[in-house]
Amino acid sequence: MTTVARRTLPLLPLLVVPAVALNLLTFLYPMIRLLSLAFYEGFPGGGIGDELSLAVWQSMLEDDFYPGLLLNSLWTAIQITVIALVCAYPLALFVHRAPARWRNILVVACISPLLLSAVVRTYGWMLILGDAGFVPSLLRAIGFDPPRLVFNATGVVIGLAEILMPYMILSLLAGFGRLNPTLDEAAASLGAPPFTVFRRVILPLSLPGVLLGCLLVFVLSVSSFVTPKILGGGRVLLLATEIYDQAIVTLNWPLAAALSLVTLIVFGCALVAYGRIARRVELGSA
Amino acid sequence: MRDTAETAAPHLRLEGLEKRYGDGPPAVAALSLTLGKGQMLGLLGPSGCGKTTTLRMIGGLIEATSGRVVVDGRDVTELPPHRRDMGIVFQNYALFPHMTVAENLAFGLEMRRVPRAQIRERVQAALDMVRLGTLGARRPRQLSGGQQQRVALARALVIEPSILLLDEPLSNLDASLREEMRGEIRDIQQRLGITAVFVTHDQAEALAICDHIAVMRTGNLEQFGSPEEIYEHPANAFVAEFVGRINRIRATRDADGTLHVGAATLATRVPGPPGPVQIMLRPHRLRLGAVTEPGWTTVTGSIHRTVFVGDVLICEVAVAAEGDAPMILNVERHTEGAMSVPQRGEPASVSWREADMMVFAGTGAAA
Repeated sequence: MTTVARRTLPLLPLLVVPAVALNLLTFLYPMIRLLSLAFYEGFPGGGIGDELSLAVWQSMLEDDFYPGLLLNSLWTAIQITVIALVCAYPLALFVHRAPARWRNILVVACISPLLLSAVVRTYGWMLILGDAGFVPSLLRAIGFDPPRLVFNATGVVIGLAEILMPYMILSLLAGFGRLNPTLDEAAASLGAPPFTVFRRVILPLSLPGVLLGCLLVFVLSVSSFVTPKILGGGRVLLLATEIYDQAIVTLNWPLAAALSLVTLIVFGCALVAYGRIARRVELGSA
Repeated sequence: MRDTAETAAPHLRLEGLEKRYGDGPPAVAALSLTLGKGQMLGLLGPSGCGKTTTLRMIGGLIEATSGRVVVDGRDVTELPPHRRDMGIVFQNYALFPHMTVAENLAFGLEMRRVPRAQIRERVQAALDMVRLGTLGARRPRQLSGGQQQRVALARALVIEPSILLLDEPLSNLDASLREEMRGEIRDIQQRLGITAVFVTHDQAEALAICDHIAVMRTGNLEQFGSPEEIYEHPANAFVAEFVGRINRIRATRDADGTLHVGAATLATRVPGPPGPVQIMLRPHRLRLGAVTEPGWTTVTGSIHRTVFVGDVLICEVAVAAEGDAPMILNVERHTEGAMSVPQRGEPASVSWREADMMVFAGTGAAA
């Protein structure tokens, strides 16, 4: 065993060379090119200045629109993450506790929405939430005046929360490994009523999965632009949609690059926060 | 010392307790028994006999289909587990991995809203009781199996439950530790005078530490009694074979009670319905050689094999009975002088006292 390992070990680093090379070429290089764009001036019609400049950043800071955009993006992503968590948690727990022969079927059912393009699912939500859609009609039928559910932030939050839920469910299931129904029984036998069992035993043991799912859904909701574009009807402005608009519509590439850099910093902060909290959770349960 | 159920005040009573899943035969069928205060009940049987189901019904972890669980005269059948006041030690210990040992123990006390200072005191006392006084700050996974077992026991006992339930608590330990732990569990149980129910498939464990044993098979209570009663006077062939080592001889009985083993006829008559019977004999109650005194019965055969196990020499004597496995015989080894070890194939006879002979109707083929 050890001799085999020793003999093959020198070859192992060579095996990663293709992947590293591919990544350097197709990911890191464009990334650096893109981000360096943020430090040139942009001109209407797609012109890019020749000299390094902070003009883009200056205009971003002077304009109230961009800080607001950042805050709005964060707030929307947080709402989506919380809703996805609250909806996915009981579902994931149910799947986890299901008899073994059902579990695989249920897992597949939970993640099968991923087989459909997000665009298709977004149009599905348009049909459900739109003015003549199922939900408003139902509300009208039982005598409520339905609030507007599409072409505003509400629609974006509802749609994205559902579209990203499979990722949350998968993360939660991955993090539920330490849950064990016998622990619930032990807690109950020690006098814990059902909700206390959940609060003191199930929830703490599932925190790693919760954290992972939140990170994933948060990052995905900050970066998605198709669903906000369609369900927001152009009225919901987020970092991702603005990047798209600046890059494709206005052709202001330096501004798009700067916004991308801001988004990247948001992701970095989310990762650091995740790492810190995850370590504390691990220490608390290691 | 063992109290009998009659002298101790009844504490736990099961009345026609039954569990059914679907239309099949019940997992536990109309089980009724009474346990005195401070006594330890062993639920003993092979896997699938319903012993764990019974324990879980007592603890409220599964609902009984019918019947009642009565503790101190109070019907607790409908109570959820968190209101039953029973300490449970699980087979896999079920310690909370995200809490320290001390936090595990404190959990039940916190649920009972015991003041903080008192919790610390009682947790420490419980840890000292199971000889883990210095390990309160450890995590469960930093402990050995035996230590985890002790923590599980301490956690179930620190809440001072009315009844302690133990679900095969020793089955995950290695043999030497198992014997040590069972003694420890028994000591603590007796010192605290707590009523306990102990589920096990190991008859030696049940005999060693329980005041009463309920032998179960496929959901039915086969016999309920003290270890001595179960061992000396098994109610049927199943109990006789399950508890302790035993020799089984297939024989036939005539209408007048005469017993035939193969071609041989025994000197003893045991009245009963004619037909096939099983004669059950404890190996250590047998004697090698013919005994002609009244009250003794002798069969003849030949030495099949001898096994030396130190304190005892086991002689396997093949008794001439159609197609039967040789019956095994224990002979106490003489400590002084050379003991003659019988050789394989040597003719030998085996004798036993009539009083030690247990005869059950049937061939035992189904058992």
